[in-house]
Amino acid sequence: MSTNNLFKTTVLEYLEGLPQNVQSRLYESPASCLAIYRILPQLAKFLIMSMVFNEQEVALTDLSAWVTHQGKYEFNEAIKTMSSLHVIIKAEDPNDRADTKISLNHVFRISFRNALTGGEVHKSFGVVIEDDTDDIVLDPKADQSTLEKLRKLKQAKKRKNRAKSTQFLDQYAADKWETILHYMVGTPGMKAPSETVLNLLIHGNLMKEEQNGDLKITNEGFQFLLQEVNVQIWALLLQYLKLAESLQMNPVDVLNFIFMLGSLELGQRYSIDSLSKVQLSLLKDMSNYGLIYHDEQAKEFYSTRMATILTSDLMSIRSASNAMNSVIAHKDSDESAAAKQLMNQEDELDPSNIMDGALIIETNFKLYSYSNSPLQIAILSLFVHLKARFSNMVTGQITRESIRRALKNGITAEQIIAYLESHAHPQMIRMAEEQLTKKTELDPNTTETLQILPPTVVDQIKLWQLELDRIIHYDGYLYSDFDTLKEYHELANYADDIGVLIWKNDKKKMFFVDYEGNSQVVEYAKRLVKREDQDAD
Amino acid sequence: MPRARKGTIVQCDPSIRALILQIDAKRNHDIILEELDDTHLLVDPAMTDYIKEELNRLLSKNIYNPLEEEEA
Repeated sequence: MSTNNLFKTTVLEYLEGLPQNVQSRLYESPASCLAIYRILPQLAKFLIMSMVFNEQEVALTDLSAWVTHQGKYEFNEAIKTMSSLHVIIKAEDPNDRADTKISLNHVFRISFRNALTGGEVHKSFGVVIEDDTDDIVLDPKADQSTLEKLRKLKQAKKRKNRAKSTQFLDQYAADKWETILHYMVGTPGMKAPSETVLNLLIHGNLMKEEQNGDLKITNEGFQFLLQEVNVQIWALLLQYLKLAESLQMNPVDVLNFIFMLGSLELGQRYSIDSLSKVQLSLLKDMSNYGLIYHDEQAKEFYSTRMATILTSDLMSIRSASNAMNSVIAHKDSDESAAAKQLMNQEDELDPSNIMDGALIIETNFKLYSYSNSPLQIAILSLFVHLKARFSNMVTGQITRESIRRALKNGITAEQIIAYLESHAHPQMIRMAEEQLTKKTELDPNTTETLQILPPTVVDQIKLWQLELDRIIHYDGYLYSDFDTLKEYHELANYADDIGVLIWKNDKKKMFFVDYEGNSQVVEYAKRLVKREDQDAD
Repeated sequence: MPRARKGTIVQCDPSIRALILQIDAKRNHDIILEELDDTHLLVDPAMTDYIKEELNRLLSKNIYNPLEEEEA
């Protein structure tokens, strides 16, 4: 299904498609170089590292000596990606293809070195506001009491600024992002996100306008909901970039800004003074997505955790609701715990660390999800028949109808299974692991893989999908009543050769070609007849 | 002289084929143009959606619905 690849277009692919001069201008920013470096595949990182402090050209054969035979594919992919990004420049010798020399893009090399070793970079990584900035001017001419009042105000403001720390930012990001997702699932009683967000959703084909002006979620939108938060953010940002291009915004400015966000420090105040005009207008949009917090009066902004994971290849946050839930859950505890929750998957078996929304599915299709987030529940209700809600969990059942409803909405069985698997309760994973260990003890050569979900449920969901298309049908033409077998074979083989043959039966001397290919077959048949006529003459 | 006929080919398993034959019989055989083999039928292109609907209706009759039982 083509829609499956909808969210596979990554930011790298977008960057590869940019014209070279745009790329070069992008590389002038050390922060962007660092961000691009961070999202490149591991092998590409290694190759860049080996070349960054080496002014000389390197022979491609020398680089490939580093990889084993199994890594050849990965190596070629890395080289391909880097050269379409123009991070590396290939100098090919026309006489000898094996003698290809490679060097790092000059602009990229300089910027990246600056990013690594600290050179002229400060602006591209944002400008930090030191805490001693004087927002309130103390006028010495004023009388003593007002001066005292101002001092107190200043102190209070300072405290407030510091309180706008990670907890506040996490809460803020969660609110913004959840509003968007809630709006998409259509949770009743939720306020709509801002106009720009809605525009983006429509442009990205995640929602479409009904005739009565209401917005309705599309197939793509349903699939979007099941993605990881990182994928979701990038999907929206890429859409934003496309939109920005049509609004004549400079893509370099936009990209630089996004990449800068990825390298900002959480909870730190940044000045807006160093931003370009375009970037100032971006501030508002980005705060609508919850990527940054920006108070319109103040000349400062903060990045949120959602922004800092942008260029991180740690795919630690599994889904939007999870990330947000754990953030909310930990809002009262200290922030290091929240960070740990986000970053640490290994500690899942620690009961205090079980992520919210963990779910258990039994072989009788009953489902229990330990979640009290309305968003998590709304997403589950896309494909589960929910029955009861308790203070810390919901129960429901996967039924033929509930799955069919989801399938009709464009969600595929694979997506449902993947979602269930990634949200499986640690207890389910542990049980699956125990079973696998037992199996391997009995038969060391077993090809069994880890089955987290009950196989009956997985198979049934897949069967329900197949059941939806019990018949496969093609429009086209049936050819019959051939006089001779030779005539039949000639035409049938031709149809097969050009790939339009759908069915044939040699005994009945009939075959079926699809609608598009029919004219070619008719054309060929006419030629055959003509040739025969000529032969007869 | 060979002949080309416009139509829609339907590929399905034999059990579904039997159901389609039944649907066809109910409608005075205006659906199926030609029975090709055990898994293929040539049908009237305008009728494909009707066939799908009818199949869905017939098949749904035989589905066990765990929820109905509980409510009863």
